[in-house]
Amino acid sequence: NTASSAAGLGIDEEIKITRKRQPIAKLDEARLLSTAGVPKLRRISKDRLKFRGKGHEFSDVARILNMYQLWLDDLYPRAKFADGLKIIEKLGHSKRMRMMRKQWIDEGKPGATAEDHTEV
Amino acid sequence: MEIEEKSQTVDPEVRAYVYSLVSAYQVGGSSTLEDGRYVLGDDALACLKDLKRWLRLYDEKTNRLDVARCLAEANLVQGDLLEILAQWPDDATEDKLKSKIALACLELLVPLTWPLEIEDMRMTVNHHRHLPFLQLAQVSYKRAILHHDTAGILQTAVRICLPSMAQLRSERSARDEGIIKLVLYFVRNVAIIAQPQHLPSRGDESEITRSATVEAFQKQNIFRLLLTVSCNIGDDFTTQDVVVLEILFHLLKGVDVGRLFMEREQLVSSNTEELRRLIQKEKAMLSGYARHGPTRHNRFGTLVWVRREDERVSTVSGQSALVGDQDTLWAMDKSKKWNKPKYRGRKTEDPSENNEFDNSTSLTASARKQLRSFVEEFLDSSFNPIFAHLRKAIEREADRVLPVHSRQYFYLIAWFLRAECARRTAAKQKSATKSPTAVPNPEDESFALVASVLNQETFILLNRHMQRSQDEKQWQDLNAGMKCFTQILLTVQEMSESPSEDDQEIAENIQNRIFYEEATHDRIIALLRSYKDQGFGYLDACTELSHVFLRMLERYSKQNLDLQVRSKRRARTKKKAKQATQGVSAEDHDRGSDAEDVAEAQRVTRERKFDFARFSARSMTQGCVDTFVAFTRFYADLSTEQLKRAHRFFYRTAFKMELAVILFRVDILQLFNKMIRGPEGLDPELPAFKEWEELVRQVFRRVVKKMQERPELAVELLFSKINATIFYLEHGYEREVPKKT
Repeated sequence: NTASSAAGLGIDEEIKITRKRQPIAKLDEARLLSTAGVPKLRRISKDRLKFRGKGHEFSDVARILNMYQLWLDDLYPRAKFADGLKIIEKLGHSKRMRMMRKQWIDEGKPGATAEDHTEV
Repeated sequence: MEIEEKSQTVDPEVRAYVYSLVSAYQVGGSSTLEDGRYVLGDDALACLKDLKRWLRLYDEKTNRLDVARCLAEANLVQGDLLEILAQWPDDATEDKLKSKIALACLELLVPLTWPLEIEDMRMTVNHHRHLPFLQLAQVSYKRAILHHDTAGILQTAVRICLPSMAQLRSERSARDEGIIKLVLYFVRNVAIIAQPQHLPSRGDESEITRSATVEAFQKQNIFRLLLTVSCNIGDDFTTQDVVVLEILFHLLKGVDVGRLFMEREQLVSSNTEELRRLIQKEKAMLSGYARHGPTRHNRFGTLVWVRREDERVSTVSGQSALVGDQDTLWAMDKSKKWNKPKYRGRKTEDPSENNEFDNSTSLTASARKQLRSFVEEFLDSSFNPIFAHLRKAIEREADRVLPVHSRQYFYLIAWFLRAECARRTAAKQKSATKSPTAVPNPEDESFALVASVLNQETFILLNRHMQRSQDEKQWQDLNAGMKCFTQILLTVQEMSESPSEDDQEIAENIQNRIFYEEATHDRIIALLRSYKDQGFGYLDACTELSHVFLRMLERYSKQNLDLQVRSKRRARTKKKAKQATQGVSAEDHDRGSDAEDVAEAQRVTRERKFDFARFSARSMTQGCVDTFVAFTRFYADLSTEQLKRAHRFFYRTAFKMELAVILFRVDILQLFNKMIRGPEGLDPELPAFKEWEELVRQVFRRVVKKMQERPELAVELLFSKINATIFYLEHGYEREVPKKT
């Protein structure tokens, strides 16, 4: 009924719904810097990594790798581990990322600002 | 087979003309009267000339392949040309008419066997249509030529040019030179033709392999011809050098030098050794699968939960996931469907397989023996004359020299230098086993046999070649250049260890010259650093070159503590001052060729004291590490020697230079972990495994320690390190930069 009336009105031909493709989520800087990205990695690396030290090198590194894999799976489930690492490595070359990385390192320095002042 | 059907795409009139020329009344055919022997047609010579004219005036002029295709379909080569050549009796060489007909046959054979190359600019639809058919036809030509029932076709072809060759060069006419060239090109064409990889084979590759070619060349005295031409180059022959180069290249490319010079027993034992190694490898592979594989049938239906943070779970199916954390995560990763699209690279190289040299070929025992004796004779008599002659031709860019020739030239230098070294070691072993007290013959010990490529001119040419191919991104050319340079270094090294004092002195001089130029050092590092998707052969060559170069430079600079190098580095302040005064950019100055610039270049070219530690630090940057990581990713296919090369590099980087931090990247750690702990890792029985395990253990220990000391490394582990922070990450404090005053 409604269809025929719509046809009578002549608007049927004009309405063409072209459905847009769902954009594919990208692993980009924004995603990497979001809460699930590097900030989370910094958090979990502090409280999740417990090493057993000498004699257990391989199991320790396996633990590190597993942490990264699970983190990456949460961050960007689409990519395989190796592919995800490749993408992230590439992102790290951008200017903004480099600034951020520098900043993260400086935050870790013991009393970085204070030392600078004493030197000068 | 569809491909062998008569093509419908050739103009029927052309086909009719060509067929009528080929038919029995014109060229000839097997006779019913004389027991089926081949009988020439009445106007055979004229017909052959007509066919030649067809090829030239129709195919070449209009850029088509129609006539060639018709001739292939009409079976001219096997049915007529080879029969006519086979019937040319030995004693009839003087017969004017018969030798004319033989020559006419050869004039048709050469264009018909000419390598078909894909050149984008000239290709038409027509070419693409006929090419596969013609390539297969050429394969059958080659088979017929190599394995003719009654006569040696190649030998007969050589007989055609003998009268011309016998004359002095000064008395030869242009026609004589042409005939000689024709025969050599015929030999070259026969050497080139091989079964194309992408086309269906008719199951007869064994009859046209390299081995078959070598045996036919030996049986039909082609090797003699090559030796004659190449040892008289410069006197009796001049322009033939590039053809000989091509023949040698296509004969020797991909042949394993080491195996060529092994004794029979040695070879047998090395073959069994290889078989044993392969079986061992397979066993290791299977046991690797067994360790990680399922223990129940495939419908056992295990489902595993992986507990994640925030009370979430992931599920993995299959029992292999039960074994341990590692396998569970591995299975989780493997089940993902998406792959990162790979950059395939721009196709700049020519796509034909003919000029490839990284694919190895194997030879049969008898062919190996024959080729070996040829190579030895060639080294003894002809290597120096022809390679010196070729160098001059390439240097002055003679018309006959094509771009591909310099690649072949450097590849062959590398090949023959390697052969000479292999022969030496073989001879040494032999004399050691026979009579350990025998005094070595000084003649045999000298490196004079290969002296023509160990001079300054060659080095200059090689340097220029490498620079240019690097600039023009001709990676195959560069690959050949790197192989050549590596081999020169190795040869010089061996020379410096020779008992003769003369040799030592010469080697010392050569090393002086090689290591004096800082430009060379810079290039080696640049090559290693800039690898990107050039293929495994290139990767192998550039890692080997840097490995060999670094090792020798280290040794040399230890012996010569006051080593000076000529550097093009200039003081920055001076440059700035100059720019300020003249307002000219420094780059323009470097490129210009005016006298002023030369003077400028001399001014900035100065000697510096060489510092090996600095150099070696420069060769261990992130780019170089990435190259070696890319190389190591092939670990399953690398030989012991190659694994060792990668091991040395990482060892040097991590522990000698104390730059282990550069290796702290998740993908590198993952690769190392996979190599040692699997799944699909290195075989623990390998001799290199122990070394690698120790190296990886040490690297891992440092990673763990560093992670505890500096938690910020957790983020940095994802990325290539920035130069600014590398020092801090390694040592935990900023580098004291000496302040400029």
